[in-house]
Amino acid sequence: MDKLDELESQSIYIIREAYYHYKKLAVLWSIGKDSTTLVWLVRKAFFGKVPFPALHIDTSFKFPEMYKFRDEYSKKWGMDLKITMNKAALDAGMTCEKKLDCCNALKTNALKMAIAEHGFEALLLGIRRDEHGIRAKERYFSPRDESFQWNYQDQPPELWDQYKSQAEEKTHIRVHPLLGWTEVDIWRYLKREQVPITDLYFSKQGKRYRSIGCTTCCNPIESNARNIDEVIEELETTNTSERAGRAQDKEDTYTMQKLRALGYM
Amino acid sequence: MSGRSPRFMILSIDGVPFGLMRRMLDEGVMPNLAKLEQGSRMRQMRSVQPTVSCVAWSCYMTGMNPAKHGIYGFIDRRDGGYDLAFPNSRMMAVDNIWQVLSKAGKKVFGMNVPGTYPPREVNGILIGGFLSPTVDKVAYPASESRYLQSIDYQIDSDAQLARQDKKAMLGNLDKTLQKRMEAMFHYLEQDWDFFHTHIMGSDRINHFLLSKVEENDSFFAPAFFDYYRKVDEYVGKLMDLIGDETPIMIFSDHGFCPIKYEVQLSRYLVETGWTVPAEQMQHPLSINPAKSKAYCLIPGRVYVNLKGREPGGVVPLEEYQQVREALKADLLKLRDPVTNEPVIERVLVREEIYWPSGSKSAAGMSPQDVAQAKGVFGKAADLIAVPHDGYDLKLGLGAQQTFVKTELEGMHTYHDAFMIARDVELPQDNLEIMMLTRPILKRLGVEPPADMDGEGDAVTPWE
Repeated sequence: MDKLDELESQSIYIIREAYYHYKKLAVLWSIGKDSTTLVWLVRKAFFGKVPFPALHIDTSFKFPEMYKFRDEYSKKWGMDLKITMNKAALDAGMTCEKKLDCCNALKTNALKMAIAEHGFEALLLGIRRDEHGIRAKERYFSPRDESFQWNYQDQPPELWDQYKSQAEEKTHIRVHPLLGWTEVDIWRYLKREQVPITDLYFSKQGKRYRSIGCTTCCNPIESNARNIDEVIEELETTNTSERAGRAQDKEDTYTMQKLRALGYM
Repeated sequence: MSGRSPRFMILSIDGVPFGLMRRMLDEGVMPNLAKLEQGSRMRQMRSVQPTVSCVAWSCYMTGMNPAKHGIYGFIDRRDGGYDLAFPNSRMMAVDNIWQVLSKAGKKVFGMNVPGTYPPREVNGILIGGFLSPTVDKVAYPASESRYLQSIDYQIDSDAQLARQDKKAMLGNLDKTLQKRMEAMFHYLEQDWDFFHTHIMGSDRINHFLLSKVEENDSFFAPAFFDYYRKVDEYVGKLMDLIGDETPIMIFSDHGFCPIKYEVQLSRYLVETGWTVPAEQMQHPLSINPAKSKAYCLIPGRVYVNLKGREPGGVVPLEEYQQVREALKADLLKLRDPVTNEPVIERVLVREEIYWPSGSKSAAGMSPQDVAQAKGVFGKAADLIAVPHDGYDLKLGLGAQQTFVKTELEGMHTYHDAFMIARDVELPQDNLEIMMLTRPILKRLGVEPPADMDGEGDAVTPWE
């Protein structure tokens, strides 16, 4: 069994475990490469079908290519797609001028609304440990309380891969089947499985997106990688962070606002 | 007052200049601090170059120069491109004082010290400084956030508000101080070996009101001193709690002086032909690397766009020294538009004030070795422009003018931080903030890390 087989089978095991425990389960689909890999794994886990809803939190600021991809493949894969948008915040004129507030209203609060509306007990998310320092402490099954707080010091132990999938009431569980994957694992898997992916990830005029989200908060990186093989080759030789192109890196945004107010910029 | 004394107490008050503190002690604004000073005379202390809080506090908390700990300013160039990066404690290359003490089994507490976000794991509690984005992320352990949220703890006062409405700023500063002190006395109920609380509001009030105080403004000057009176009342309560025996240091990290001008140094580098901005300017480092021989980061940190080192470098290694000298000459030519006084007092080269890990000085290094230095030392500016007091160096790549005036009234100064210490053995001469870690560790009986600076040759040379 090679590494990808092992990762795939572990992820599928976690997905099926989650499906067994939670009647109200959904997969969060941001249309990026990781959550699309996750949807692909769900399909593999259940013989080509996604047996629970796919939730897309739509900020209205996603790339047009992402909307096109979402509509095309949700249909092709027969998904029960739920789209949630914080219309009240958008109507009140929320834009990314204040990025922290914007992310909070259009992503976090929209997700809270979706959980309330559909009564989801658990969500499958495509996050990986190597994405960001804070995610290093994540678990495969991670409880969140009512206000979405995650207390990383008070988590159920997951020893010898015994996943803790039971939770107290009033929490929802986030399930992270891709936690052990790295960025390059994802790309190797996308290649092996020929998973469709938006072409925002491939180089046009010397630039490509390494991580996608809202048009307002993503910057392309300098790259000549025009296809999956070239992306893999680039990743094997790079040492910059995957999210380097995302102004959405909220701490940086906060820091920039603060430093500007203090006259440092 | 309930609570107990830690074995070592620090209350730091950001950016209070020695001269102002002297005046407030003498004029009865801070009687409690004056009482402490009777037994332990206040001293002047040097800060860091360039004089910014995150660097000063990083030097304090590591006892090392920036080429060892890695924090050179509030912004850096991002690896691999001409874009901005924002250093925080993740980029700090060495243990901080709370970690060093923790590893020696001491119980430690820190709150609001700049440069401590995200808070590192310690044997105790560490609450991040003013660049912490939200209260739920501010503390180690994370569970402490719940207490902080419950008292409506304020990470920092609102500088944006200060720009819009200085009267509203005063209320905001009071609330921030009150919440900080409430948290301090709450945590002092526990038993600690080392306890450090920081007050940031003094830096803010100095930034936004210092000229009004100099002008003796009828509303803002008394309000300014009222803020310090409140700080002093808390000092009084603290002194009652800790008694006469506990070793204590109360100090600032740099001084302050009124601003004559904010100086847009990037624009000056454009005017003098060193920097060429990109066609589409998106941020303060949007330069055209192919046409730029140098660029700068705030404040006064000038980099040679060196081939092989910078992502789009154009200056060959053999021209490095020559380019540095020419840049230095140009920087020293910058003059006040009205008085024609020089703006830049001196220009330092990286090896004058920084030295890499494992060393105590970089003075003997050749310019080529300095230029090609790797690791943390290799991220240092090639030149550091040190302004005369009153000229606050900014970036302003796309600025309309080099010399501007804004709502900011005060700027940091190097020579005149203050230090009041009781029962701590500080170096006798030429005190600088980087020298403080050793005596604290010594007082607590903890061996300093081998590479620590702050004594012998490993001090910042300055006359």
